[in-house]
Amino acid sequence: MSALTGAGVLARLIVRRDRLILPVWALPAAVYPTSIAGSTAALYPTAESLRSVAGEAMANPAQLATRGPVFDASVGGLTAWTVGSSGAMLLGLVSMLLVIRHTRVDEESGRRELLGAGVVGRHAPLAAVLGVVFAVNLLIAVLMSAVLMSAGLPAAGSIALGLSLAAAGCTFAAVGAVVAQMTRSAVAARGAGVAVFIVFFLIRAVGDAGGADWLSWLSPLGWTLRLRPFAGERWWVLAPLLALVALLATAAHALTARRDLAAGLLPPRLGPATAAPGLRSPLALAWRLHRGQVAAWSAGFAVGGLALGGAVSGGLEGQIDAPQIMDMIARVGGEDARPVDFFLNYLLSMLAWIVAAYGIVSALRLRSEESAGRADLVLATTVSRARWALSHLVIAAAGPGAVLVALGTATGLGYGLSTGDLDRLPQVLGGALIHLPAVWVMTGIAAALAGALPRLAMAGWGVWVVFVLLDVFGMLGQVDGTLLNVIPFTHVPWVLLGQMSTVPLVGLTAVAAVLTALGVVGLRRRDLA
Amino acid sequence: MTNAISVSGLVKTFGRTRALDGLDLTVGTGEVHGFLGPNGAGKSTTVRILLGLMRADSGRASLLGGDPWADATDLHRRLAYVPGDVTLWPNLSGGEVIDLLGRLRGGIDAQRRKSLLERFELDPRKKGRAYSKGNRQKVALVAALASDVELLILDEPTSGLDPLMEAVFRDSVAEEKARGRTVLLSSHILSEVEALCDRVSIIRGGSLVETGTLAELRHLTRTSVTADLAHEPDGLTGLPGIHDLRVEGNRVSCQVEPAHLDELFGRLAAAGLRNVTAAPPTLEDLFMRHYRTAQPGGRERQHEEAR
Repeated sequence: MSALTGAGVLARLIVRRDRLILPVWALPAAVYPTSIAGSTAALYPTAESLRSVAGEAMANPAQLATRGPVFDASVGGLTAWTVGSSGAMLLGLVSMLLVIRHTRVDEESGRRELLGAGVVGRHAPLAAVLGVVFAVNLLIAVLMSAVLMSAGLPAAGSIALGLSLAAAGCTFAAVGAVVAQMTRSAVAARGAGVAVFIVFFLIRAVGDAGGADWLSWLSPLGWTLRLRPFAGERWWVLAPLLALVALLATAAHALTARRDLAAGLLPPRLGPATAAPGLRSPLALAWRLHRGQVAAWSAGFAVGGLALGGAVSGGLEGQIDAPQIMDMIARVGGEDARPVDFFLNYLLSMLAWIVAAYGIVSALRLRSEESAGRADLVLATTVSRARWALSHLVIAAAGPGAVLVALGTATGLGYGLSTGDLDRLPQVLGGALIHLPAVWVMTGIAAALAGALPRLAMAGWGVWVVFVLLDVFGMLGQVDGTLLNVIPFTHVPWVLLGQMSTVPLVGLTAVAAVLTALGVVGLRRRDLA
Repeated sequence: MTNAISVSGLVKTFGRTRALDGLDLTVGTGEVHGFLGPNGAGKSTTVRILLGLMRADSGRASLLGGDPWADATDLHRRLAYVPGDVTLWPNLSGGEVIDLLGRLRGGIDAQRRKSLLERFELDPRKKGRAYSKGNRQKVALVAALASDVELLILDEPTSGLDPLMEAVFRDSVAEEKARGRTVLLSSHILSEVEALCDRVSIIRGGSLVETGTLAELRHLTRTSVTADLAHEPDGLTGLPGIHDLRVEGNRVSCQVEPAHLDELFGRLAAAGLRNVTAAPPTLEDLFMRHYRTAQPGGRERQHEEAR
């Protein structure tokens, strides 16, 4: 039996199990760059307007940090700039999670054992999932290029954009394969994989925002942008990307060969024989279950805030030469607004979206605890359903608060260290924390679904994605202003520009409270799974 | 004596599947009650309704004198539950889970916890993810048995235990019984039920088919009789209460209902008994009879399991 025996059968099994997820992910991913291109062309019909928006973007360090530089002031160039970073995230993170799902998750649940006892080679499961995920990424690239070309964009740039995003997908699929071998649980594997992504993202973000091109070249997420679709394609950049994918895939296979099934590389550690005196309430249990994530997310955002805060504010004390961006700043913050405050606030708002994603993750703990049957153990004791749910939700509300404190403090520190003005730290901290009520609304949506409509709990993510898309298209002016009001972040005042209003904050908090109450009431009335 | 559990006419449907179809169940205080039935018969659904994790569509259920849905948290102070498939928190040690569940129930007997850990040979320092199925089961068992409660609800608690640990489990349940606790034991292991239970209820397709003490149930089963006779017997074929009759020359074998033993042995003696073996009815016979007749409903059961 060769090491790859059965890989074909396993690949078909993966396609069968994910026959819904794969198209739901791949089709929009392949098509949305073309709709961005359409919006860009409609919004900036002249070469003049394209140049001005490109100049605006290049002058905005927060934009440089999140999306990287604009390499060409054309419809294609701006499309590549708009989707380059978010597309790499979409393809990269989903590819990584898919690989972990079919490796570490299967091992943890014992499904892998069921297959391993059949005629399946040692390397077959990993080869099968990597094969499927690589193939889907290539399909996305082909489809994306075809749709872009059919919309009238240059062929070379269309192909380059498709391949650059697919390369990001394959790279992080391979990262997923490695971390799945090194860790002992799916949660740890996902955490490690996302951490690797964040580190590479930050390296690129700091490099691009700080004008340190060499730094961006240290991250594969910098490489995919520097393939320069629609801006004099540099095809040779595909070579290091391919080499990295090959290297990581080989490493993952080598690790598979060396370890036992279900084991990680690190040996299991023993825990305490008795519980600490404090572990005596559902709240203490919830804290115990969430605290690792709270710490990891806080640490991640602290590092990110420090780096981005410093990068964004470096050399931005004065005025900027882009009249359009000055107009925008003046519109939001009045004539006296300083660009650096605008950019800092902009950065914090972008990162608050990710904090909201963490809030959703925390609230959905309710669902995973229930479906795994662990909720039964607690609810068969004197703990009521409301108390159990609220224990998790209190932490799901406080956790993002801690993360925002870490983010705000670190961003203020980064700003202070690069400008010498540490006095603004409290204000920057406030600028981060002010997003908390909006984050709570997102957490509340997930809580309401997990409590009242458990089968639809994952739709909490759908709402998040829809809001993100609305926001993106709203910035391009393609969405009606009243519709944008459904996005909680629309209502957050720009405090660093001197805006402050408690009404929307109270309103958002009330909405979050109502949503949470709906979830708890729903949970109390229904059967548990 | 009051009843610890009393259920009547319980109905629970999941979509088009009727998981419980007018179930009756009575468990007296202080008794160990065996709750038997094929897979998908509705045992776990019943247990989940008794624990207030689910609500019945109709029917009446009373647990320790209260309403399992409305009074759930108060009642849970007085009971402990062991699920059939225990999942633990991956990063909590077994000892932490035992202490936590005990405290959430309102206290744990430290001495008893210690002795149970020793008897079940369980290492409490291992993390949840490192335990095998049997060891996860032991964690839940120790947590339940070390709690100071009136009622134990055990849903197939020995499904992952090895025979040695099963014996430890039996001893522990026998001790609980001696302390006057009530035990509802859902199980598939007949020897376990025969060894432990005062009374047994058998359910199938969501309703009760048989209930009573083991002696009463045995009474309902048939004795298998094999006899060597001096002559070929006659008149056996028409006898009431005789099943699976086979006559080969002077040798007779058949199954007979207890009420008709007299007549059978009368006829056999008339033909000159040379040798006879009569196997006592076992719970297994009874079981197989009910399980086999459950087969036509098999498709429905699979449907329910697939949920």
